[in-house]
Amino acid sequence: MRKSSVCNRSGLLIALVFATFTFSSHCLAQQKSTVLKGGKLLTITHGVIENGVLVMENGKITAIGAAASVNVPSGAQVIDVTGMTVYPGLIDSETALGLTEISAEQSTNDLIEMSDEIMPHMHVYDAFHAESELIPVARINGITNAIVAPENGDTLPGQDAFIQLDGKSAVDMLLVRDIAMPLNFTGEQRRNQSFESAKFPYTRMGMAAQLRQAFLDAQNYAQTLSDYDRKKAEFDSGQAAPAKPANKKTDEKAKQPPSPPKRDLKLEALLPYLQGKKTIVLAAENPSDLQTAVSLAKEFNLKFVLNHISHSQPVLDYVASLKVPVIVGPIYEDPKPEERYDTVYSLPAQLYKRGVKVAFASFDAHNSRNLPYQAGYATSFGLPYEEALKAITLNPAEIWGVADKLGSLDVGKTANVVVANGDPLDVKTDVKQVFIEGNQVSMTTRQTRLRDQYSAP
Amino acid sequence: MSRTPIRYLAFVSCLCLCALLAGAQQSAPPVHNELLIKNAIVMTVTHGDIKNGSVYVKDGKIVAVGENVSAPASATVIDAGGKYLTPGIIDSHSHIALGDDINEATSPITPQMMMMDAFDYQDKAIYRGLAGGVTTSLLLHGSANMIGGQAIVIKHKYGANRDAMLFPGAPRSIKFASGENPKRVYGHKDQLPSTRMGNFAVQREALVQAQEYRRDWDDYDAKVKKGDKDAKAPKRDLKMDALADVLRGKLLVQIHCYRADELLTEMAMAKEFGYKVRAFHHALEAYKVADQLAAQGVAIATFSDWWGFKQEAWDAIPWNAVISMRKGVRVAIKSDSEDFARRLNQEAAKTIRYGGATEDEALKMITLNPAWIIGVDDRVGSIDVGKDADLVLWDGPPLSTFGIPEKVMIDGDVYFDRAQPGFGMPHYKEGM
Repeated sequence: MRKSSVCNRSGLLIALVFATFTFSSHCLAQQKSTVLKGGKLLTITHGVIENGVLVMENGKITAIGAAASVNVPSGAQVIDVTGMTVYPGLIDSETALGLTEISAEQSTNDLIEMSDEIMPHMHVYDAFHAESELIPVARINGITNAIVAPENGDTLPGQDAFIQLDGKSAVDMLLVRDIAMPLNFTGEQRRNQSFESAKFPYTRMGMAAQLRQAFLDAQNYAQTLSDYDRKKAEFDSGQAAPAKPANKKTDEKAKQPPSPPKRDLKLEALLPYLQGKKTIVLAAENPSDLQTAVSLAKEFNLKFVLNHISHSQPVLDYVASLKVPVIVGPIYEDPKPEERYDTVYSLPAQLYKRGVKVAFASFDAHNSRNLPYQAGYATSFGLPYEEALKAITLNPAEIWGVADKLGSLDVGKTANVVVANGDPLDVKTDVKQVFIEGNQVSMTTRQTRLRDQYSAP
Repeated sequence: MSRTPIRYLAFVSCLCLCALLAGAQQSAPPVHNELLIKNAIVMTVTHGDIKNGSVYVKDGKIVAVGENVSAPASATVIDAGGKYLTPGIIDSHSHIALGDDINEATSPITPQMMMMDAFDYQDKAIYRGLAGGVTTSLLLHGSANMIGGQAIVIKHKYGANRDAMLFPGAPRSIKFASGENPKRVYGHKDQLPSTRMGNFAVQREALVQAQEYRRDWDDYDAKVKKGDKDAKAPKRDLKMDALADVLRGKLLVQIHCYRADELLTEMAMAKEFGYKVRAFHHALEAYKVADQLAAQGVAIATFSDWWGFKQEAWDAIPWNAVISMRKGVRVAIKSDSEDFARRLNQEAAKTIRYGGATEDEALKMITLNPAWIIGVDDRVGSIDVGKDADLVLWDGPPLSTFGIPEKVMIDGDVYFDRAQPGFGMPHYKEGM
């Protein structure tokens, strides 16, 4: 097999554009500085800069502006990107990247534990396969960061990870472990495949009761832990204080430290969510499920964002009143028979109109690469273009608490930058080069290798 | 029982039930309009784009196309406002409107299964495809069986009655399959086939039987022709009837096939038994054997970028369509999904990015090429005089993320109009 990232059609184009570059991944690790000059910069936060200059140093963006206003550091690698569009790396707000390779081959799947519905102690980071062939495929289309979530077959399937799509190992790529926890309430989590093999929870009532019990148990566990902490503190201070003569029996008892409660990993995993320290990703589709799930979240003071809500068009004012962001989509979800053909396509626009912050997710692994087209398609159904772009860059960065580092082309942010030959939201656009932390990443994938092997005349 | 009351009831139902029952077709049969669509970028597929072009439609057919088209004052004028007009999209691989009756998965050889018998013409997926610009679809069996059954070709006239949706005079197609699906379905039942060897053995066996059956009938027909009054007709067998027609070349053979080696085996088997393969469907490894496909004149109906969903889709690459096309294969992009059927234009546009197809080539992959696969390319698939007036007016460039249909016409009638309230269907008003 011919292994080459240069000697193919698109590679040749890159070679022309990036004339000063060599072409191996990480070849410029900890580069002094790299400058993209002459491109159209979609900054996200401060408009579009035609004929702009972007400077990347030590993994960060250190300068950005119109050509005339930016000083190019001496000794910098200057890359002419005239005619190209430059934009921040895209963020996919839900994928299964690293949890699957070939969908139908169970041995390659680590998507979900189905033995119980309450599995908050499942951590995506324990299964994340950094060497998956799927990751470069997403990466060369400009996806630089993503949420990896377990599949949605359980009400509490485990905790998400926030990844960067480049790095030496899983350790590098898992930027935030346990960043959030899905709570799925779409009805699919019922164990109602057949009446004969009926298991609890067979109904939505069962699902809700089970969730409520889990959070109550966790509250109780939290109480037990804090009781222990208090006793332990008392004991410790008692030890520190000078011994007083007293009843011998009491004295011996006081010498015994309180025994710590038995650890429960499930309940332990729920604590940061009960304490509002981390975000619950609340998934529902229909108005009734949505309202049940929100009530449950409010009952336990959970901090949450919404996920999907594809068929909740009738209650969007209610959604807006919750003042939480929504991960929309996939907007390709089929409408229900009674819904107009564009009911789901127009959801992002309808939410935006009501002041709701939206982010898109591919909800996919193999074709996470198609994330930007979903945002683009939503513009055909009323979402303003700038908002569509934000919904795959800055909005998810804000939702996931990483907007200080990602989501726009701003000085001080991580240099995750994409160079393409056109509009990022158009299917026709070819991504020419991706930078992650200022490093030019390899544009080769298993698929490009097959292409090069077989497309020779 | 006398027949009169039944007839009477049927008559009354025409008057009343339509108003009472939601879900039935509700309007009078569409009238073929006389239309002049003007001021459009007419993407003809066969002879380039006509800027500021017009199309004159009468009696469901395209009568004139060009920059200067004159039409009688009686024609309804649609001013396209400089927007794009394309032929209706054609989906050469669809399973919509079949409910869960897609696979008679009880025997690997079921050529006698007629899709017509399961056609659920009220399925809203027909409407949603229409709203995405699809006007014609080939509804195929699934791939559980090596030979699944006979397909139907429909026009997406949602709201019309069942038979009015059938594409008049479309050739018969039969669905063959191969690879993982049949071997999995029957392997799980501990039956033949459970391997690719078993798959092809089952198929070969059926074709050998069909050869014998055909010979018996040919002998009988010859005797009758000679005036032999004692000639005894062989017993009719629906399975064998269908396969004998395959051998006689009366059916278009559509084969579900992923891997390169199986594409070659299927072509060898066709040669051995003397039939032609019309198209390989999915054909995700066509790029590996494109020269051989081109030499045999076999088309492919493939996905733009779907991959990795099973082992035999692991070598799928989004450049498949264009590599195969450049090597001379006739390529269609198809849906195989309710979802993709709603935006096949975007799927086709991906070939521009993956391999550098021109807009014309990309558009051909969802119009004229699938029309050829279905065998209706003389009737639809381009904007040419004499063809059916199946047309889509787009609000933006159709070969991009940003174009969506404003109006969809079939046989010159507007079946979808985005500006209309409710479902946006002049001929269907249920519900909303």
